[in-house]
Order: sequence, then C-alpha cells, then structure tokens
Amino acid sequence: MIRTEELLLNVGPQHPSTHGVFRIIVKLDGEVITEATPVMGYLHRGTEKLAENLNFTQIIPYTDRMDYVSAMTNNYVLCHAVEKMMGLEIPERAEFLRLIVMELQRVASHLVWWGTYLLDIGALSPFLYAFSDRERVLGLFNELCGARLTYNYMRVGGVKWDAPEGWIDRVKTFVKDMHFRLDEYHNLVSGNEIFLSRVKGIGKYDAETAISYGLSGANLRCTGVQWDLRKAEPYSLYDRFQFDVPVGKNGDCYDRYLIRIAELEQSLRILEQALEQFPGDGDTMGKVPRAIRPPAGEIYVRIESPRGEIGCHIVSKGKAEPYRLKFRRPSFVNLQILPKLLVGESMTNLVTILGGIDIVLGEVDC
Amino acid sequence: MSEENKRDDRSAENKPPESETSAQPPTEAGAEAPVEQTKEEVTEPPSEGDAPVPERRKETDEEKAARRKATLEAREAAKAAAALAAAEAAKGGSSASAQPAGESAQGATEAPAAAAAGGSSASEGDAPVRRKETDEEKAARRKAALEAREAAKAAAAQAAAQGGAPAGAAGVGEGAGADAPPPKPPSPSQPRLDRVAAMLRELVAEDAVEEAYINEANDHLPTLVIKNERWGQAARLLRDHAELACAYLRNVSGVDYETHMEVVYYPWNMNAREGYCIKVRTDRESPSVASVTPIWETANWNEREIYDLLGVDFPGHPDLRRIMMPDDWVGHPLRKDYVPLDPEV
Amino acid sequence: MKGMLKGLGVTLKTMGTKKVTYAYPDIPIQMPERFRGIQYFDPEKCIVCNQCARICPTDCITLSGKPNPDPEKKGKVIDTFDVNFEICILCDLCTEVCPTEAIVMTNNFELAAYSRDELFKDKEWLFDNSTNIRLDNNNIGSPKGGAK
Repeated sequence: MIRTEELLLNVGPQHPSTHGVFRIIVKLDGEVITEATPVMGYLHRGTEKLAENLNFTQIIPYTDRMDYVSAMTNNYVLCHAVEKMMGLEIPERAEFLRLIVMELQRVASHLVWWGTYLLDIGALSPFLYAFSDRERVLGLFNELCGARLTYNYMRVGGVKWDAPEGWIDRVKTFVKDMHFRLDEYHNLVSGNEIFLSRVKGIGKYDAETAISYGLSGANLRCTGVQWDLRKAEPYSLYDRFQFDVPVGKNGDCYDRYLIRIAELEQSLRILEQALEQFPGDGDTMGKVPRAIRPPAGEIYVRIESPRGEIGCHIVSKGKAEPYRLKFRRPSFVNLQILPKLLVGESMTNLVTILGGIDIVLGEVDC
Repeated sequence: MSEENKRDDRSAENKPPESETSAQPPTEAGAEAPVEQTKEEVTEPPSEGDAPVPERRKETDEEKAARRKATLEAREAAKAAAALAAAEAAKGGSSASAQPAGESAQGATEAPAAAAAGGSSASEGDAPVRRKETDEEKAARRKAALEAREAAKAAAAQAAAQGGAPAGAAGVGEGAGADAPPPKPPSPSQPRLDRVAAMLRELVAEDAVEEAYINEANDHLPTLVIKNERWGQAARLLRDHAELACAYLRNVSGVDYETHMEVVYYPWNMNAREGYCIKVRTDRESPSVASVTPIWETANWNEREIYDLLGVDFPGHPDLRRIMMPDDWVGHPLRKDYVPLDPEV
Repeated sequence: MKGMLKGLGVTLKTMGTKKVTYAYPDIPIQMPERFRGIQYFDPEKCIVCNQCARICPTDCITLSGKPNPDPEKKGKVIDTFDVNFEICILCDLCTEVCPTEAIVMTNNFELAAYSRDELFKDKEWLFDNSTNIRLDNNNIGSPKGGAK
C-alpha cells in the first residue's frame, strides 16, 4: 500500500495567477483539492472608512483605486449615487462622454481579462495582443483626462474634461479596428483544442447556485440568467441603444469566456451608436451647488461594471461627507463561490477557475 | 382572563379605555404598535380620545430622561408581571389566580406610565399621512418604538401564558401628530410596501415589522425595518414565498448610527425586477443579527466583513472570522468611535 | 494541427505590423497635453487661499503664508509650500480648485528616488519644475473657469 497523506498548500499571496495579493490555502489529496480557504485583505485600505472623512469630490480618486482595471465605472457609480440623491440634471454631452468612456473601459477590462486568462492557462501571446489593444484605450483615456489608470474623470454633475479635438474620431477608428482584432482573437483561441480541454465543463454551476451566491456579470449570465443591469435596470443612456445580452447555458468556464468575448462585441456596438449620436455641442458640467451636500437619507444605486453589479450605498446626514459609504464590489461577491467550485477539482484547475471568475483584488479588499 | 389582561396592558401604556376597541381584533393587536407609531405613519386625528396628543411638543432633555426611566420601570414591571402570570398559568391557575399578578403589574406601572405620557395611540393601520422628521425626532421615535416593543413583548408573553388572549398594548408613541404637513401623493410602490408588510405580519409575526416606508429618492424603494428577533423567519419568507421570491441578495451593508447598529439588506426578485430594502437594528454594546447565510449564500462574506469592520455578531453563520483585518486586530475600524490601538499602523 | 496553422498565420501577420513597444527610457515618452504629472508651483501667483490643501484627498500639501512684505499691498504671500510625493496621487484636484493657477500640472512624471526623504518637495523644487507645463488646467472649480 502506498501511504497517502493530506498536503496543505499555500497559493499566494504573491502568485501571478491570483491576479494580485490573494491567498488560497488548499488541502490536497494527491492532485485533488479537498478543501480551499481563501484569505484576503492584503490590499485592504479602508476606503469606506477614509470616505467618511472626505467630501464626495475627494472620494472620486479613491474609487479609481478599487477596481483599478475599470476605474471609470467606479467613478460613475459614486457620482451617479450622489447625483440621484441631490436630484441633479446631467447635460447630455457629459452623459454621452461618460457612457463612451464606460464602454471603452469595458473593452479594456475584458481585454485584460482575456489576455491574463489565457496566460493563466498557458498561452503567452494572447496576453501581448490583448495588452497592445488595451494600450490604445489607455492612450485614449490619457488624452482625455491625463491619466492611464486612475482617471478621476467624472465629477458630481458631469465630467471634468470635454473630449479634445479629434478624440471622438480616434475612438471611432479604434472601434473599427477592434472589430477586426476581435474576429482574429476569436478565430485564434476560441476553437483551440488545448484551450477547450482546459475550460470546457470546468467550474460548472447552475443558475440557482449563481443566484444564491449573488453572482453578477458574466459569472451569472453564463448559467443562462439574463441579468445585465444596462438592460434590466437601465441607467445613464443605455436605454437609447440597441444591444444584446449574451447568455450561456452550461455555466462553465468556457461559457464565461464566450460571454465576455460576446460582450466585447456588444460594447463595440454600443460605442458605434453612441459615437454616431454624440452631440456636437453642449455643456460637460451641469448646474451643481458649490457645496455638494446630498440631503439626509439613504440610497443604493448599482450599475453594470465589467465584473458585474457594482453598487454604492450612501447614508447621508446632509453633510459634505457621507455618514457611511459602502461599495458593493462585484469581485468580492463573486469570489465567494470559489471554495465551493474548487472542491474535487485538480490543482491545475484552480487557476482556470479563479481566472474565470475575473476578480480584481483592489476591489475584493477595497 | 383576557379582559383582565387587556386592562393591564392598557394601563401599562397609559391608554384610555375607549381606545380598547380599536386594539381589539386579535391580529391587529398591540404587538403591532411599534410599526404603527413609527416612520411617517402618523395617525391622522387623535381619534382615540388621546389626551396628551394636543399638548405634544418637544421634550427637554430632562423630560426625556425621566420618561426613559419611567418606561424602563414600566417595562420591568410588566415583565415581572408577565413572568408571574406565566408561572401562575403553568400551575394551571385560573383567571382568578392570575389576577393578582395582573393587578400588581397595573399598580406598579401606573405611575411611571403616567410620567411616560405622550403616547399617540397609533392604532389604526397605515394612515398614509407622512411628513419629514428631524433627526432628533427620529431618534426619539426610534427609542420610543423600542420601548413600546419591549412592553408589547412582555404583554404578549403574559397573554400567551394566560391562555393566548390577544395582547392589547399600544405603544408609547413619540410620533407627534400635531404638526404634520399636508400629505404627499402616494408613492407608486405604496401597494407593494403595504402588501409585504401585511404578509410579514401575517406569516411571520405580528410584531415583525417595526417600520415601513418608501425611500422616494431611491426609486421609491419599499423599505422595511424588521424586528431583530424575527429577521431569520422574515428572510426565509422573503426568499421562499412565491409572491415575493427574492432569491437574489444584492447587497448587505452595516451602518453604525452611534445610537444603534443597523444591517441593511437588499433582497431582489429578479423576475419581477423589484426588491426591497430591509433593515435590522441591533444595539451597540453587543450587536447581534441572525445570520442569513443559510438562506442567501451571498451574505456569507458580507456578514464576515460587517463582523470584522463593525463588530456585529451573526449567530448562525458557519464561519464568522475576520476577513479584511488580520485575525489579531483589536477593534472594529468602521465603528464611529474606533480608535486604533497602535496609531503608528 | 489546424489550430497550430491558424496560430502561425496570426504570428506571421503580426510580424509585419508596426511595433507596439517603446524604447523607454532611452527615448522619452511623450505624454499627451492633458497629462497629469508632477506639479509646477508659482509662488508669485499664490494668494494663500488654502484651497489646494483643503481639497487634497490625501493631505499631501502643507503650506503657510506670511503678511505681504510690500506695505502697499494687502493679503498674504506664500511662505512655505510642500508637497509630499510619497502620498500625492496626482489626482488633479489641487490644480482644479486653484483660483490663480499658481499650481498647475506638468508633463513630467519621473519621481523614482532612493530615499523617501527625496520625495518631499518644497516650493523651490516645485518652482524649478518648470518644463512641459500643462497649458489647459481646466479649472472647473474656479469662478472664472466655471462650468464650461
């Protein structure tokens, strides 16, 4: 008889496939995981506590640092919450700019995911392709607001910068090019046999489980649940545009992959329409009182970030600072299902499953 | 027996006899009081012949303190009486045997209750007169609600012990009906709110809903404050009832209000695309709210986070550990009075 | 097999395309006009209104004023002005609120240092940082810039 014993293995916190500082303690029986305990908090900066001593304009840069792969949507959720509390009107041009940057951000974010996911699985070159395309989006953002990751672009009542000259045209060119690139990526990876054998049927769950775990974004839609907040509870100008919500049916890593690729296409579709309808003239800042003091009360707003439902719960006491500010971070909620998915899987699938959830640790730890 | 019992309650709450009738229907009985006298649901005219109402005014601090003390005493007395009565009933005592207990309670509570005064005997259902309240008023009202709830509980216990007679206690209200501004147009979510509140009262417990109002700023979101002890059951109802079917829990937040803690849940029905905001309050010294992790898995880490950052205990949670801060951290950083143990960190 | 050929096809196609990498730091990177780099500070323009220090989300600006040495003139002039670049996040809010554009962004971004102390910059250093100054600081917070 071969003597076997349980092996306790520490994955992370410094491990490239954890996409940040995330640690999982796994119990292994041979190659098979029998128990997984995620440990997080390595990137906890206490954003919510800090926010209680900052006014709303000052909190915006902090939101950039939560989901740093998708800072624009974080900007938006905070501004949107405050605007809603104060009942502010946003000029159309500003709202268009917001929508365009949010969709560009979704493209950039999904590209990062696509590249790193394939890198996790063992394909190096898609990572380089994805990042070279993402670089173009970051370049566009850099032109627009002077930063590549931490934009601090939106303000309560509008946006800080109007589009520079020729910027809209450059976005149009990018969208056009991106269509071709996407086809190429799809062609290159989606049918690849090695890839398929790594992701098909891995990390499977059904719709009921997904809903019970409160999953959102592609993690929820891969089970066939049609739940995209842009459609289900439209905010911004999303009800003006035609787009589909891609859903899967198997709830495995492969479906999540396909959905994100399809979402890239849909984002480009929204962008095309938005760029076409972009108003030629107008304000980028609405009428905002000098001191931003939302009336006493409470609000929860939510939008669809690339990772799912990002929500902002503000309790205001009528002061310039929030009494309590809580972010519902999609990565944090989505990650909860990980220990359940890992049990019974082999060690190699850990990376596939974790990558498939698409987390950003800045957001998990907040 | 039940007659006795009712009189007892009434006196404990300083409620004139005429109001008795309105509190009569068993299902609408005093247990409901905390709900009715709270949040914006101010009874229209003080139709109950409620003497104190017209003289409603802001209390000074001393008065408040006095009232608080008085109610505390009243509550204690009521509890004692209830216990006594329960014991008596357990002994198989008849209504006569329970009488002394009731009487003693009555006697004991009479004086303090009079001091407590000020109860707008909010007893009809959902009078939709609403108005904005100031913070102090809110705090006072909340406190009053708490007291009333306690009293009602005691009364209910007593009633149960004495043979299931309905408890007729109405709250010691602070809701001030005198200065209500004209009513706002009813919210489109009002029927939904009324419906869910009625369901919770009917299927969970009479006293399950402490407050129910519409959060206009937040897309007219129906907001309910659920009695802490009833939350586990209420959560189950929210998820499992075919009509509510809130299978998706969007968000869980914890808020430190300095006077108390609050855990805020946003259960959602994805098919109907509607949901609720549910609040559960707990005291600050040893905050505790039943865990809903067995009902919604979403709550798992969210509750851990609230435990970690606010120190709220969630009995029933499978694995309540710190999640953000290190395991040996001292204190709960999101509390308003948090002072770091080591300022250098 | 087919997948491999496809892959090779993409590789070959990409071989002919333009390079996407930079030869930084041998060739400096040109940042766009609006880039938010290390601030330039002009003591002449500063009216010691404290707005930058107040808006700063990380409290990295400390400043103090002194009475105007010219008895003819009222108001204060800047005495010390320090930015701690250990914690500055270059969020652009100080330049946004500055009513006189005394503090503005530049296109310079190289801040790496061997010691933390070197990251503490005073008003002389910030005044010397006078290259690549950003022209449009879009003061949406200031009265004259307004909401344009």
